[in-house]
Amino acid sequence: MTTALLAPAGLTVVGLVLVPLLLVVRNSFASADSYGGIQGGFTLANYQDLLDPIYLKVFGYSLGMAGLNTMVCLVLGYVVSYYLASRPPQRQMLLLLLIILPFWTDFLVRTFAWINLLSPGGPVNSLTDAIGFTDGPSQWIPSQGASFIGLVYAFLPTAIFPIYASLRGVDNSLGEAARDLGCGWWRVHSRVLLPIARPGMLAAALLTFIPTLGVFVIPVLLGGGRDQLVGNLIVTLYTEFRNQPMGAAASVVLLLLMVASMAVFGLAARRLRRKTA
Amino acid sequence: MKHALDTVTAWLARGVIAFLYIPIIVVVVLSFNDSEITYKWDGFSTRWYGKLADNTELLAALQVSAEVALISATLATACGLLAAMGMARLRGKGKAIFSGGLFLPLIIPEIVLGVALLSVFGAMSADLGMTTLVLGHLVVTLPYAALIVLGAYNALDSSLPEAATDLGCNAWQAFRRVTLPLLRQPLLAAWLLCFTISFGNIVMSTFTNGVGSTTLPLRVYSMLKGGLTPEINALGTLLVLFTLLIILGVGLRQMRRVLVGADRS
Repeated sequence: MTTALLAPAGLTVVGLVLVPLLLVVRNSFASADSYGGIQGGFTLANYQDLLDPIYLKVFGYSLGMAGLNTMVCLVLGYVVSYYLASRPPQRQMLLLLLIILPFWTDFLVRTFAWINLLSPGGPVNSLTDAIGFTDGPSQWIPSQGASFIGLVYAFLPTAIFPIYASLRGVDNSLGEAARDLGCGWWRVHSRVLLPIARPGMLAAALLTFIPTLGVFVIPVLLGGGRDQLVGNLIVTLYTEFRNQPMGAAASVVLLLLMVASMAVFGLAARRLRRKTA
Repeated sequence: MKHALDTVTAWLARGVIAFLYIPIIVVVVLSFNDSEITYKWDGFSTRWYGKLADNTELLAALQVSAEVALISATLATACGLLAAMGMARLRGKGKAIFSGGLFLPLIIPEIVLGVALLSVFGAMSADLGMTTLVLGHLVVTLPYAALIVLGAYNALDSSLPEAATDLGCNAWQAFRRVTLPLLRQPLLAAWLLCFTISFGNIVMSTFTNGVGSTTLPLRVYSMLKGGLTPEINALGTLLVLFTLLIILGVGLRQMRRVLVGADRS
């Protein structure tokens, strides 16, 4: 009976996730036939090919963008979560609803919304013209900056939820007590509230950093496709170059980056704990 | 006394919430713009919605997306419910391993999951189409369905179905007449969220769609590569409205439980 109940989900996970992942690892060591398909054999050539400066640049740029995006999302996520958590309960519900709507709004809509905003002569440009910041149409899109704004916009709600989840149970009087005992604003946050928010911050960091590496829509639509993330590299290798073994190798590298970042974030969280304990 | 920095961060937080809304509001407003140029206001018009209704390619893609979302959400919710009932009977290591596997797709980058499925379909020389799309979306939605249903199932008072059994119900009747009605709301929530996730999915679809099974997001993405049109803003507005309806359908309380955990107070 138990087996029968677990079978549908179990078969899905084994057949459509685990076995396929193992196949990707296998394919990353295979050589390509003349159509870019899998020929078999064993070679490290696909990984060696990824060491080409062009591809290394993609990995470096991705790590930089993902790191920066994670930092911005953590800071803004903490600020919003703290604001939410310190409101009265009824207000919190309403504000939370306000964040849920953009979170569930279609990913593409949230991306192309920025094309409207940042186009030369568009709303943002008109505003900067009005305050004298710019003079006439400005070419802000496509650019790295537009791409970065798109990334922050896409991941910010994702980062807010776990941080808010770790802060919302906190009694407001805890911060007040620390304040009464002579803690300044910074110390209330760094010694009392941030340590409480740490598990949420860690979850938010993982939910932002790893998925950012695999994004491909935003760099194409807002960045003009010039500065690519690992996600773009994988899509290009599979759908344009049709080099499956190399695409598989790039996917395995992405998996390794995922494991490495989990280890790094975990370690960082543990060190922080020792420092504040 | 309130610290000045509290005031500053409160305003920053309000600014961030505004930042989350401005792009969406601009899409909605510009969808009613009469001008061909999306961002130059030139009077009110609903003509882009009319044009949307005439776009047969887009309507075909909408149908594909709706069908795939309908089937994969149903499969994911059913699998999630069965898994939750099965997991309640597991103990110790087996339970930990199963739940680890179940939630694995949540941490693995979706693009890798897509590549992995494509590799398997390629190795089996399966034709890419509706079936492969549905399987791909099942992978993406199952963890969310499981998350919601598992939480609700574990919170269920197990003495209720037991009481039904004591009163002479067989296992199926106890499930059908007691467990299922009690889980109606979370099951609906799980289904709606899976539907939304599947409907908006673009990464998994990139690798699992075939000729004639282009989903709505894939179609919109290829349209966007040629530039943003007022028509796309109109479609975006409808999608925002759709999201709003889904959230109302799921209910705020349920939504909060999914996203930030159960009430601690």
